[in-house]
Amino acid sequence: MTFKQTRRAFGKTALAGLAAAAFAPIGLARAAGSPLAFQSIWINDPEFIGYFIAIDKGWYTEEGIDLTYLPGGPDVIPQAALLTGKADIALTSLIETASAVSEKGATFKIIGAQFQKSPDSVISLEQSGIKTIKDLVGKTVACPPLSLGTFKVLLGLNGVTEDQLKIVPYAFDPTPLATGQVDAVVDFMTSLPFIVEQTSGKKASYMLFYDFGLPFGQDLVTVSEETLKNRRKDIVGFMRASRKGWNEEIANPDKYVKEYENTWFKGNGYTPEAALFHGKVQLPLMENPNGIFAMDDAWIDKNLATLDKVGVKADKSLFDTSILAEL
Amino acid sequence: MTAPAYRENARILFGTLVALAVWELLGAYTSWGVAMFPAPTRILAQAFADRELYALHGLATLQTSVSGFVIGVSVAVFAALVFCRLPGLELAFRGVNITLFAMPAIVIGPLLVLFLKGDWPQIVLAALMVYFPAMSATLLGLRTVDPRLADLVAAYGGGEGVLMRHVRLRGALPDLFAGFRVAAPLAVLGAVLGEFGSGTRWGFGAFLLSALPQGNPARLWGIGLAASAIALAGYALFLLPARRLSASSTAVTLAAVQPSARPKGGASTRRILLALVAVALPFLIWWLGVTLSHVSPIIAPGPGRTVMFLIEGRHAAAARAALGHALGQTLPIALLGLLAGLAFAFMLAALSLLAPALARGLLPVALVAQNMPLVAVVPFVVLVFGRGTASSVFMAVLVVFFPAYVLLHQGFTSVPKAASDLVAAYGGGRWKQLVHIAVPYSIGHLIAAARLVAPQALLGVMVAEWLVTGVGLGNLLNISRGGLDYDMIWAGALVSILISVAAYEGVGLIERRIAR
Repeated sequence: MTFKQTRRAFGKTALAGLAAAAFAPIGLARAAGSPLAFQSIWINDPEFIGYFIAIDKGWYTEEGIDLTYLPGGPDVIPQAALLTGKADIALTSLIETASAVSEKGATFKIIGAQFQKSPDSVISLEQSGIKTIKDLVGKTVACPPLSLGTFKVLLGLNGVTEDQLKIVPYAFDPTPLATGQVDAVVDFMTSLPFIVEQTSGKKASYMLFYDFGLPFGQDLVTVSEETLKNRRKDIVGFMRASRKGWNEEIANPDKYVKEYENTWFKGNGYTPEAALFHGKVQLPLMENPNGIFAMDDAWIDKNLATLDKVGVKADKSLFDTSILAEL
Repeated sequence: MTAPAYRENARILFGTLVALAVWELLGAYTSWGVAMFPAPTRILAQAFADRELYALHGLATLQTSVSGFVIGVSVAVFAALVFCRLPGLELAFRGVNITLFAMPAIVIGPLLVLFLKGDWPQIVLAALMVYFPAMSATLLGLRTVDPRLADLVAAYGGGEGVLMRHVRLRGALPDLFAGFRVAAPLAVLGAVLGEFGSGTRWGFGAFLLSALPQGNPARLWGIGLAASAIALAGYALFLLPARRLSASSTAVTLAAVQPSARPKGGASTRRILLALVAVALPFLIWWLGVTLSHVSPIIAPGPGRTVMFLIEGRHAAAARAALGHALGQTLPIALLGLLAGLAFAFMLAALSLLAPALARGLLPVALVAQNMPLVAVVPFVVLVFGRGTASSVFMAVLVVFFPAYVLLHQGFTSVPKAASDLVAAYGGGRWKQLVHIAVPYSIGHLIAAARLVAPQALLGVMVAEWLVTGVGLGNLLNISRGGLDYDMIWAGALVSILISVAAYEGVGLIERRIAR
């Protein structure tokens, strides 16, 4: 840490005088790197392990980037961090980013997709017999207020009207599902089913939004048009190093989740088993023959169709595949 | 220790043990207890297993709370001294003060995260929660001067400076410590709320956030209780010096004139002018901040744009309708919560006169409950009160009753000895003492409490709406935040602050009428 600080300080002095930078030994100049702040979308958990690997292996530094990783949280809106300049690059969600562009005139570009299929799901206990969205009729579903709009569209697409079921707010806590206060919850399937099974001893199952008429990606790598124009080299470097990190994770599942238990994940209170489950279950949703972050035409069309269904105006220009082409 | 006191303490201890035993039984042998109301032994065992995490997170919360408290209190005491010497300035800054106080923490949290880096969002949130109670208590203390002492200073040719040094500062200490007592737990709550949202890795707020989805109620309760314990330690820290002080500074005889809390005199045009400044100043600061920071207007619209958002443009009607609908759901419940919280605080304060043993037994439970971070009690609140009005009212009471109780208790105990001696001399018991002396004497404190906690009631209801009921202003602001609709967030913040200010000033009018 101290070493890194000194290098950063060196970088500043080097930038202050161009001459100094020009004559600096190559290794040091590379180590200094250009500062890039990356706003994540949630607190440190296996969802972001690819980036942690790339940081620890020094792959961002190799690309000439001095990366600052900013964890997310309930109050952190990654798109807003891009607008304030607190972050240069961020992981965002499709609908919010698209509506910020069409409604508020923000100039965001989505340049890659961590999740090809969003882990957004309707999760229930197997014993409740909920196998399709239609089965939710007459049930009580806990849904986070932020997903409510999307969930209602999902219901509509599956021929269910809002008054056929009871929707209550969901506040991150799986207990109501485990105890039967609610019949289903809307959440990522990356850890909840495992935790519900562990705490209640009952099998849990899930239905991806993606498979029930609302296909969209998640944790979309997003930048402002301005950053894309002015910092292209750093953005390409970021994507290359991040992809390398994710490939390393895919090649060695379990290895890094265990290794980071006492570093990146320390203090988050995950049980080692839950972290391993999370690390493994998410990978199939991310992989693409064209590499991690890929956004092919068919995928983009699916996302645009979903945006159309939830009533957000958007077109192909929301996505920029040119960075991926350069990797 | 005398025999009755010994017996009383034994009774309190016995009561506590019985309560713990019932809790243990419910928590260990009922299915809902196992899931949501874990037994004390299970909480302790989990906390012991987590001890390393407790040390790391606890230290972070402690640092954040102390930093926030020190910053908030320093500014508060300085401001109180200035306002005491220059009452005109207080009138001019009135709008700023009340705005700082009335800003709902769950709205200001995400805005702080936008502009501040590192640990600063949660430190500033803690400082903001501390400032107003500390400032108003200090100011009240500085203003409440026994007129005979003031006359004495004047008779010996002392000016305002001498009065400040020898009378005001000394006399203000009990109120100062009462303010600190309210402020210290608030600093911890602010820190935890900030940590919960800001994406920091360390602190009980961050620990709570990561523990919530893990279905481990024993850990959740443990974190909540630990955060509550830190808050209470802050309360206790300022209780000891206050006890010693109030023993030596309670007026021994009764002053003939009630001190005036408001500055008198001044030309009416000057007062109108100051009132206008008071209204304009917050907007001016808002406009300046937004203009100077050069942040995208998508995120930080100025006052003009925010007002226009509700008045004209293609979304104005829809925005007004959404906001109006949300307010219609939130306000009646906030009022109900306020009244219920005040009633509860009054009962508890009265109980501490009538049945000190019972009050002393109840107080720890009340304190722990009040200082539990709200997010930690959500599963339990849903279990007991469901997802309707009752849980919103309960959350409001939870945030309201404690500051109100502290002020009321302060009022009850600041009764001059001569007055209570009079009742005792005529054979009046505790009940007579309460009805004839303590209640009339502390009516000012009751109204001060109502003013102080009115915005808190709104905050409590909004947190419940955000996490439990999914309706009203708290829910609207949460959804707007997710949709990056900062126009609506600022409009919602503006409207909720205006309502809080109206409530505050409304109670102030009642106060003046009663004082007459």
